[in-house]
Amino acid sequence: MTSLDPRLNRVDIYKYQQELQPKDSMDQFETYEVFLQTKESKPYQHEGIVHAPNRDMAFLFAKEQFSRRGTCTGLSVVRTEHIMVSPMTDNDENVYDLVSVEPEKNTKKETYEVFYLFKRGKHMQHQGSVSAVGFHDAYIQAGATYNTGKTVLNVWVIRHDDMLFNTEDERVIWSTLSEKKFRDAIAYKALDKIKKFKEEQLASK
Amino acid sequence: MYGGGNTFEKLKTKSIKEENPEKLAEFEARIARGEKIEPSDWMPDLYRKQLIRMIEQHAHSEIIGALPEGTWVTRAPGFKRKLALMAKVQDEVGHGQLLYSAAETLGKSRESMIEDLISGKSKYSNIFNYPAFTWADSCFISWLVDAGAIVNQLANAKGSYGPYCRALDRICIEESFHLKYGHHCVIHLATGTPKQREMMQEALNRWWPPMMHFFGPSDKISAHTEILMKWKVKMDTNDNMRNQFLDMYVPKIWELGLTIPDPNLKKNEETRRWEYTEPDWEEFKRVINGDGPCNKERLAVRAMAEERGRWVRRALLNPKSKYVTPLA
Amino acid sequence: MNEVAIKDLLYKMADDQLIIGHRNSEWNGLGPLLEEDIAFCSMAQDKIGQSLAFYTILNDMGESDPDTIAFTRNANQFHNCQLVELPIGEYDFSLVRHFLFDTSEYLRFDALAQSTHTPIAEVSAKIKGEIQYHVMHANTWIKQLGTATDEAIERMQKAINVAFPYALGIFEESKYEGDLITDKVFIGEHILRERWIEAIDKVIATTELVIPDLAAEEAHLGGRYGEHTEHLQPLLTEMTEVLSIDPRAEW
Repeated sequence: MTSLDPRLNRVDIYKYQQELQPKDSMDQFETYEVFLQTKESKPYQHEGIVHAPNRDMAFLFAKEQFSRRGTCTGLSVVRTEHIMVSPMTDNDENVYDLVSVEPEKNTKKETYEVFYLFKRGKHMQHQGSVSAVGFHDAYIQAGATYNTGKTVLNVWVIRHDDMLFNTEDERVIWSTLSEKKFRDAIAYKALDKIKKFKEEQLASK
Repeated sequence: MYGGGNTFEKLKTKSIKEENPEKLAEFEARIARGEKIEPSDWMPDLYRKQLIRMIEQHAHSEIIGALPEGTWVTRAPGFKRKLALMAKVQDEVGHGQLLYSAAETLGKSRESMIEDLISGKSKYSNIFNYPAFTWADSCFISWLVDAGAIVNQLANAKGSYGPYCRALDRICIEESFHLKYGHHCVIHLATGTPKQREMMQEALNRWWPPMMHFFGPSDKISAHTEILMKWKVKMDTNDNMRNQFLDMYVPKIWELGLTIPDPNLKKNEETRRWEYTEPDWEEFKRVINGDGPCNKERLAVRAMAEERGRWVRRALLNPKSKYVTPLA
Repeated sequence: MNEVAIKDLLYKMADDQLIIGHRNSEWNGLGPLLEEDIAFCSMAQDKIGQSLAFYTILNDMGESDPDTIAFTRNANQFHNCQLVELPIGEYDFSLVRHFLFDTSEYLRFDALAQSTHTPIAEVSAKIKGEIQYHVMHANTWIKQLGTATDEAIERMQKAINVAFPYALGIFEESKYEGDLITDKVFIGEHILRERWIEAIDKVIATTELVIPDLAAEEAHLGGRYGEHTEHLQPLLTEMTEVLSIDPRAEW
């Protein structure tokens, strides 16, 4: 059987279907949550996930899946299981009013990044970093600093070291994004062509 | 507070009657208020099941949808078309990834979704079971099939499930160039040389019947969907979306001097609805159940891609890793 | 400045990028993992975009427009190295080719950013970020697969053994090598090759893979002056199939 796609005629596509085996249970790997900063003045925001075998690969994948368009000044990936998540509250309730935790009894302080959700349907947004002795401590401290106005519906706390960020030097990988005009709607103007065609049609009548 | 997420492995789906009435009422009130449902919220089994099915099908449609246009990716005429078509096919794979991710938040693993696609258990948009014989076919798909998909997507973006809406927002932004690119290609063919015009007209003649199937069976023969509309899973009826598509695009097709192979196609100025020859729904059923021109090849290609890549994934698999449901 | 020498340099670079970009686009929608499919396709687009930038410089220097240059020449008029025209093979071969070729690109454009030929220098500086990602991607894959399962290591080694002699053809010297070096347009293929060997050795050393013995390998030369494998013409015939229906029409 030949395909209309010349690429497929170079491979015996039907042979693979015969050799099909059930997938290994982690065939598609773990997931990594992706955070993006589109401009230096804007906070990092959660965008989605990538499936990847490790954090380095996750970064490579996230860069193309989430920042191949628009602008990007910062990208970070972290394993889904490394994120501590608060319950999600209903709209008028602030999670800090409902969920109180006891801080851990450790002494070693680490940096934690804190994300809040202010409205269902929107994205988790970075509020800032806190120095804390554990996830609960970070949640409390973040509340003291960042729970200042809008109702917080949901909190994510992540150890900074669990997150892989691009270096300052690596920002250059996004430098040519704005030049790729072939993906801009504006590169496909054709009103003139339609107009010319219509005029020719009228003229020939 | 919890970390690590959880997966929902349910063997039996509760019927609506079996659900907790207070929780159900709260859930429906939230949706009626226009608020989004997020992954950790309580939701009826039926909502979860239907959403997984719908989002998964949408994801499969993107992945399979990359194949008819992919047919022409190595043959695109000129740099502009070459780059654009590569980017478009890439976006389709990317959209598949975004949609699988949204479905995963509801508790189904990507492995099982891919397996269900390849085995034929899960469906995808029927239009991709048709062959892209010429460059003009790929242009039809890029313009009008994408246009149909966008009508669907814009409606669904107002739905109730947070992760799906967020995925659709990103998809809609990326789609904006697809439609322009497709239209641009069709304009060039339709207003070009006689050979180009002929190629485009023939392609249109071939693709029109599947395009009329695109939004699904007519409302009068469709299954009842009131609960799905109440839960903002299904956002509009098949006939309404088909009508919207015709309203937006038939004039644009006609203005290029192309004809549409349906002598009954016209807009009723009184009802403001488009009238057309009733599509052959038996043919639709036949093709979607496996008996179309390309069904076998599409699934074989996906099986090939997975199997051919198996050694790569196996090589990098960490036996200590475990899966955790994505968060949002 | 020797214009003929510069055009020679531009043609070979642009042809390399067009052909490898085209080859890599064959994986579009067919990759081993969705995320990798997406990433590989971005890099293929980058390469084709880069070839377009160099064909544009050629056009500014009096050659035909990019579509004409790229889509109407036959195999014996192309100046790409033979490495890039080889079929995609399995993912092992494509990744190895990506690693060997893109490492050379990174070093080439790093050097050309200092070129006395301003248009080349400007494009080279501009694309640095793209190539940095390409090399980051290639190095990560080589390092990870090169230390993974027996099957992965065996496959990657076989691919390196096949690709390496062809990769040496990247550095086939130009007829105008002397002028390019004297005019400080380019550091020359000889120095580039040395830097390349050092760079790939560094990455390979972190794996279970080995680079074949340079002394024992015979480079596949000829691509720079129109001698190609049996794979290039079919590639070009396919690539130009639609445009050939009517090269003067607007598509």
